[in-house]
Amino acid sequence: MRVRLTLALVDRPGVLLKALEQIALNGGNIISIIHNRDRITSGYVPVSVNVEFPDPASLERAKKGIEGSGIPVIEAETLEKEIATMILVGKADVDALIRKVEEHGSKISALHLTGGVESPCLKLLVEAPHDKLRPLLSSLEKLAEEWDALLITEG
Amino acid sequence: MIRCVILGYGFLGRRLAKELALNRVEGVKLVGIASSKGHIYREKGFKSSELPEDITRASDFREGSSLELVDGRLADLLVELTPTNIRDGEPGLSHIRRALEEGMDVVTANKGPMALAYEELTGLAEERGVMLLYEATVGGGMPLISLQKRCLMADELLEIRGILNGTTNYILSRMHFEGMTFDLALREAQMLGIAERDPSLDINGIDTALKIVILANSLMNARRKLSDVKVKGIRKVTSEAVAAAKESGMAIKLIGTASEEELSVAPRLIKLGDPLCIHGTLNAVNFKLRILGNLTIIGEGAGESTVSALLNDIREVARARSG
Ligand SMILES: NC(=O)c1ccc[n+]([C@@H]2O[C@H](COP(=O)([O-])OP(=O)(O)OC[C@H]3O[C@@H](n4cnc5c(N)ncnc54)[C@H](OP(=O)(O)O)[C@@H]3O)[C@@H](O)[C@H]2O)c1
Repeated sequence: MRVRLTLALVDRPGVLLKALEQIALNGGNIISIIHNRDRITSGYVPVSVNVEFPDPASLERAKKGIEGSGIPVIEAETLEKEIATMILVGKADVDALIRKVEEHGSKISALHLTGGVESPCLKLLVEAPHDKLRPLLSSLEKLAEEWDALLITEG
Repeated sequence: MIRCVILGYGFLGRRLAKELALNRVEGVKLVGIASSKGHIYREKGFKSSELPEDITRASDFREGSSLELVDGRLADLLVELTPTNIRDGEPGLSHIRRALEEGMDVVTANKGPMALAYEELTGLAEERGVMLLYEATVGGGMPLISLQKRCLMADELLEIRGILNGTTNYILSRMHFEGMTFDLALREAQMLGIAERDPSLDINGIDTALKIVILANSLMNARRKLSDVKVKGIRKVTSEAVAAAKESGMAIKLIGTASEEELSVAPRLIKLGDPLCIHGTLNAVNFKLRILGNLTIIGEGAGESTVSALLNDIREVARARSG
């Protein structure tokens, strides 16, 4: 998973190195670093580091490690989207479905309806930020239950 | 010599009795068989030619409860093969409980008692210092429980995922390859004897759920009950849904999952290249381990193959008791 970590660094040599060490120590692969020198606020320079982490747990450990060495992590934003295929069998309220997906910061990138009114079957391709997919799936699961429909997801 | 009695003389009971009567396991002698109507006990053992087709016709047939074969120190090993009952596990639960209390070792293929009373029965076996082996309850002849307990015990099992029911896999496979409707595929499976006349336990996912509970409790140290499993069956899977999956390079499979977070059974989309994506009546189980990674076992998950697991468990008992 690719993540953009925004750190608040004190403008002193060696501080960035400490943060990068914590990232490497936890299996993170650093892709790029951007110093936002034009955004210096009260002695801090916001630095954005794009990192590839093997999994969410290693990201969490790296965040803890960075903060443990006295560097505040302002933001950790997932850059990658996940694309998930799902099939909804039975009658569904498509508007409500789209709304639910959008509520979770995700979007439907393809929608395919077959079976007509007799036996409706909706295939969806959903694009979701890495960390949003699980909660999205469980709320879609609830919607499907309300409609007495069957939601079939990957896994 | 270990004296063995078989309670339940049906599909598995008959086949196992034959193997034992042919002395397939050294040190084990078959001395008793029972059906719902009564039992036969022969202290000197059965030769394979002496195994009755209908036990009620045998001259030494006795009407009465199968517990008579468990009480009274007539045997050392019980093989429990009565029908699975998901309501209260009976009569298997009483058979197994009594045998363990009597100090007998037990081997079973009966999912009911193992899924409903796992903690009680394994606790009782430990307390009495006897063996309780149940490889045959899950995945037919496929070694799953003994594989983990013998070969993977130092690794950490993070997740179990798999196709654990051959009947539903057959139905979904026919829908996938032939474009059949669910009803037609089910009727075909019934005609071929793959699905039972009342297929509801399979179709509704309960059979898979029982197996997931047994695997989670015995391999992941969980303390789960059948009611802890979120279960969705395949009855609502339409041919449109199967076709839509196929178009995306996937198949719909009934997947049982056990992890620390949850136990579930649901139809899921599986990529056609995934090792779990096997067809027909085959079963497949994937163990996700911390160090080893993924390990997938594929095999016939029911029928005659189950006798292999039963014999292996019996042999395990014989080995432990011979030394
Ligand atoms: N078949 C498989 O492929 C398979 C695979 C894995 C696990 N299993 C499990 O293994 C068990 C046996 O399966 P199966 O296919 O052999 O079943 P089965 O053909 O239905 O045979 C069950 C046998 O149990 C007998 N029985 C019923 N109540 C009894 C009682 N109170 N005391 C003694 N015997 C009693 C029946 O007697 P009557 O003939 O008098 O009714 C019958 O002989 C089941 O729990 C099943 O779920 C089966």
